[in-house]
Amino acid sequence: MERKRRWFCFFMVLPAILFTVVLGLIPMFTSLGWSFLEYDLMRVQEHGTPFVGLENYRTVLNDGRFLRSISNTFVMTGLVVVVAIALGLVLAHVMKAEYRGRAIVRVLICAPWFVPPVVAAAIWAWLLNADRSPINSALMDAGIIESNIRFLTDSSTWGPFSIPLLSVTAVRIWNGLPFIVIFILAGMQSIPRDLYEAVDVDGGNLWSKFRHVTLPLLRPILGVLIMLLLITGIGHFEINYIMTGGGPQDMTNVMAVYSYLQAFNFFRFDLASAAGGLILLITAAICFFYIRTQLRNEDR
Amino acid sequence: MLTSVSGTRRLSGLRTGAAVAMSLAVLGFSGPQVNAQEIEFWSQDYGDLIAWQRTMEEFTDEFEAETGIKVNYEQVNWSVAFNRWLTAAQGGAAPDCADMFWLHSFSAIGGDQYGPMPITEYRDTWPTLEEDFYEGSLQDVNWSGDFYGIPWRGDVRPLIYRTDLAAEAGLEGPPETWDELVEYAKALTERDANGNVTRWGLALGPDNPSQSYVPLYWQAGGDFMTEDGRTATIDNEATRVALSFIRDLVWEHEVLSPDFMERGYSAEGDFLAGQLGMIASTPGPIPPQLAEDYPEMDGKWALGVPAAGPEGRDAYAGSGYFGVLRGTDNVEACVDWISFLSRPENMQRLSEASGNVSPMREVMASDYWSDTEWKEVINDTLEYAHTSQHPSPVWNALVSPEPGAVIYDMVYRAVIQQEDLDTVIAESQERMQAEMDRAFSD
Repeated sequence: MERKRRWFCFFMVLPAILFTVVLGLIPMFTSLGWSFLEYDLMRVQEHGTPFVGLENYRTVLNDGRFLRSISNTFVMTGLVVVVAIALGLVLAHVMKAEYRGRAIVRVLICAPWFVPPVVAAAIWAWLLNADRSPINSALMDAGIIESNIRFLTDSSTWGPFSIPLLSVTAVRIWNGLPFIVIFILAGMQSIPRDLYEAVDVDGGNLWSKFRHVTLPLLRPILGVLIMLLLITGIGHFEINYIMTGGGPQDMTNVMAVYSYLQAFNFFRFDLASAAGGLILLITAAICFFYIRTQLRNEDR
Repeated sequence: MLTSVSGTRRLSGLRTGAAVAMSLAVLGFSGPQVNAQEIEFWSQDYGDLIAWQRTMEEFTDEFEAETGIKVNYEQVNWSVAFNRWLTAAQGGAAPDCADMFWLHSFSAIGGDQYGPMPITEYRDTWPTLEEDFYEGSLQDVNWSGDFYGIPWRGDVRPLIYRTDLAAEAGLEGPPETWDELVEYAKALTERDANGNVTRWGLALGPDNPSQSYVPLYWQAGGDFMTEDGRTATIDNEATRVALSFIRDLVWEHEVLSPDFMERGYSAEGDFLAGQLGMIASTPGPIPPQLAEDYPEMDGKWALGVPAAGPEGRDAYAGSGYFGVLRGTDNVEACVDWISFLSRPENMQRLSEASGNVSPMREVMASDYWSDTEWKEVINDTLEYAHTSQHPSPVWNALVSPEPGAVIYDMVYRAVIQQEDLDTVIAESQERMQAEMDRAFSD
């Protein structure tokens, strides 16, 4: 009976395993293998794909453009994690509170989730176009600005930050926020009400409730959320690519965009794979900590 | 009764056979090729997608009626075309023959195993090729001494300008020289009370900054590489002249948006909205699209031959061709099909259905290509057509419209970042040579 049950379970997960292997693991390890070969489409027919060891990694790590993309990847991912979690906590409270029109507010908060990232990127690219932006027009009409803000093209910088980097990051946060809010809301709804009543009895205010009840009890969920945001953030591609292509002056170039351009614009599948290999390495490190934390929590 | 049983059994047997055959077909098993007179042909889509599909189906029907060869036609959307051809050039799924582009790059990628197949031995099928076709278009179907197919569409890029805005500014006719281009662009540029530009006078091209630079460099007298495609030749006076000209357009004359190299820049949209006066080099599909799809723009635009630079008046031109793919067993059937499509009357139909300029002289001399003023200008521009393909397989990587490509980076550093021209050009020359060496070095 037990054996039958195991077989049944195995068959139930088999399609998912097959999809993961065929569409995830095989391409991933093939690409990883390419990162140790010379795989230049302009030379592959004449020279084949000789083994070159770590040469491709050396090449990309000596490319200032790739180093900039690593820095941008971490800055943007960090911003997304911090700002999205902070906003998520606020908006989860807004969604949880009881008031008239709550359903409308909930729909509005979830609305960005209905827009695929590619579409969102195209819409925001138009909304933030320096010459046509309705945001610029509104700000100008209100007398707040005198000249157009070049949201996606201004090349002024403050350390690692720039207006294009902040604009693209904002769109990434906007698009991913509903997922975070729902995640946090689910966690908040599992917090027993009597804990908040105990704070009331002790004379605590809203901040005390948040600090001493909500935040500690949400910590495991926030941990998972942060890990997920880090993993998806390190390999993020579409919004950056569509909105700016990594420009201006590489200010919004991230590792995945660099990898894509190497493969499909410059025919260097080896360098693209090496960049992809580094993304995999960083993501794997984050996954390692994530899984280890999960297992420790389960043991407790 | 016996007959009836036998008939029933035969029917049952047929049903079983049919079921097995259908199952095999569904499961992807294919039996031995019964009919060799069947070829698979891919084409990108052009103009009105439904009209284009219908035209191609008419051709396949006519060809089958004439030769008995069935052409299985598949339309490839432009949005996925590049990746499909890149895959085909590396051994992925490929048809027998197709409407192709980027011969030099895809030939190098596919080598002698995949991708475009030379059909030099069939060249005599077209005995008057040189007389029938424009010279530049034939450069696009020859590579390393081999002949690969028949050019069927051209993309020659004239200047386009808003006649309504030009009239308001007191201008008449298109600018003829770079000096006039600047003068026109200044007159067409408008600013609000705060000094913000509300209408730019000029864009170099619609969306691809690298391609937009190319004709200006030619007009300044430059060539990107030697004829054998092995040596980069951009460290020269022509590069300095072309880059200085663009830099001045942006920063001195302030008639070209400093965002012109960024992803979100859309000259075509601005032109339609009246926020842009001129595009120096406009792709071939745009004029027919304006004429067909934007009746509200009637009488508000016109074409001109690109303005002459210090050394010439070259217009950017490219072509697509019908060719055969390596690995096919149906070379002769494909050559017959291409020969059928390349008849003057069929080239005429292809040109009309796609809206593309034809590389065939006879088609361009037809009434269709001289019934409006803008078509006549396109014909005039053909006289200045300079093929965009270069004898190096890495050319398309060099002129990629993305940061990281040699030409893009050179223009960006020289124009937008205003770095020292000599340094930028010398470093770009070095990078370009290194890229070109990829294709030939051991």
